[in-house]
Amino acid sequence: MDQATPTLEELHKLLQMSDTINMEIFYWWCIALMVVIHAGFLSYEIGASRLKNALTAGVKNILAFAFIVPTFFFFGWWIYNAFYGGFTPDLAGAAGALPWAKSMGPDVTDNATGIFWGAFVMFAATTASIMSGAIIERTRMSAFIVLAIILGSVVWILAAAWSWHPSGWLTTEWGFHDVGAAGCVHTVAGFFTLGVVINVGARIGRFNADGSANDIVGHSMPMSVVGLMLVIVGFFGFLGGCIIYVPGEQWTNIYGQHTTLSAFAFNTLMGFAGGLIGAYLTTREPFWMMSGGLIGIVSVAPGLDVYYPPFAYVIGMGVAATAPLVQKYMVKKGLDDAVGAFAVHGYGGFAGLVLSGLFIGGYPNVMEGAPVVNFLGQVGGAIVLALLGFIPGYAISLVMKKMGVLRVPAHAEERGLDLVEVPAQAYPEWAITGASTTVANTSSDTGSYDKLHDAKPA
Amino acid sequence: MSSPITSWDGASTVFTYADKPAIMGFILLVAVAVTVFAIWATVRHEKHSYSSPMPKTKK
Repeated sequence: MDQATPTLEELHKLLQMSDTINMEIFYWWCIALMVVIHAGFLSYEIGASRLKNALTAGVKNILAFAFIVPTFFFFGWWIYNAFYGGFTPDLAGAAGALPWAKSMGPDVTDNATGIFWGAFVMFAATTASIMSGAIIERTRMSAFIVLAIILGSVVWILAAAWSWHPSGWLTTEWGFHDVGAAGCVHTVAGFFTLGVVINVGARIGRFNADGSANDIVGHSMPMSVVGLMLVIVGFFGFLGGCIIYVPGEQWTNIYGQHTTLSAFAFNTLMGFAGGLIGAYLTTREPFWMMSGGLIGIVSVAPGLDVYYPPFAYVIGMGVAATAPLVQKYMVKKGLDDAVGAFAVHGYGGFAGLVLSGLFIGGYPNVMEGAPVVNFLGQVGGAIVLALLGFIPGYAISLVMKKMGVLRVPAHAEERGLDLVEVPAQAYPEWAITGASTTVANTSSDTGSYDKLHDAKPA
Repeated sequence: MSSPITSWDGASTVFTYADKPAIMGFILLVAVAVTVFAIWATVRHEKHSYSSPMPKTKK
């Protein structure tokens, strides 16, 4: 009988192991849910493309995922562990994240490294997908792959090291607080995308010679809307990955401050609902409504752990209601962001950070010597991250443009990229008829098919 | 032998060639090389696709 009764030490060990495995399982399912984000982006980008480019948009999105995983293994994870202090790497501290380190592979005594690496890979793939939709229908696949690798396996993770790491300098020196990655994921990806959109130019037919714009309508709005809803589903995995499971203790956020999944549930859903309604009020349009839901979540992400939920609702509503204006302004400036990625992620993330500066000041940090959360830290962090995204996005795409490797030739764009590049057909029973979903601006007399095709890219 | 262990008792790192850094390094280099090759192959595919003769667009 005595032999069957576990000792306190055995019970303690049992609990510890159970806790460790629970932690591992939690992140495993977060990873699975984050794959749903990618499925959502895939669906909404295909839907937002014209029939002649539907498969190419899908292939592009799938390849972003495929190239991010190995490159994040080769150098992305190391960047996160090495560059939390700025541009000078902590070589000793990051040695375990090098691709030849023993911790970077199956180890029966390590339940954490692989699962955290996996979650971060999914954040990286999400970041690259944010750019993907904006530049559909005219960007070279090879150029996109290179840009996706730079954004997903270098730029965002450097931003994460600075702003979303327990020892990141933006937090330890400025008190920066962004639990849901509005900065390192959304702001960085949005501004990187803006830089690329400027250089890649508009799709043929998007703008007329006089500068007026034509709508280029995707071939399946329902597919896009369902895709955006899938992105929202996946966001629960994304935000789960933003919280730290500490075996035997209360959850913490990435900065070590106590929080709960309950807090995240309150504010994620309230921000989401606010965003949906806000975008509905200003657009009445399902694509922007679903984008608005996303904007709502993004805009409250910095303070998911501390916002009063009705406040998150109001913030989400306000930012989502104004985001379509940002998209309109971009169009006015001749910028063709095909899915409004900058308005959703760049503006949504940036505005969320600035608003968090106004409203979550005073919360204490737990890192030794780190200042409390404050307005200047939040705004300063937002500016740093916006620049960190925009500068490489603009500079690298500019070099690619000068080399003539950024954009597909005009004849391929006109024929449709599926016909030119992809040995398959999206809808074999349909005839591919060219730019049939380009809708001329009714206020202009330059809307005929021929004239649309005569228009030069911006 | 690719196994770095002879017993599961007390084992920690168990992945193939974990005890042979040279082979590990070689495999890593191959992985990097095939990734770069895939990008190069994409560029080549595009070059071929964009230069292939195509019938004129119907208007």
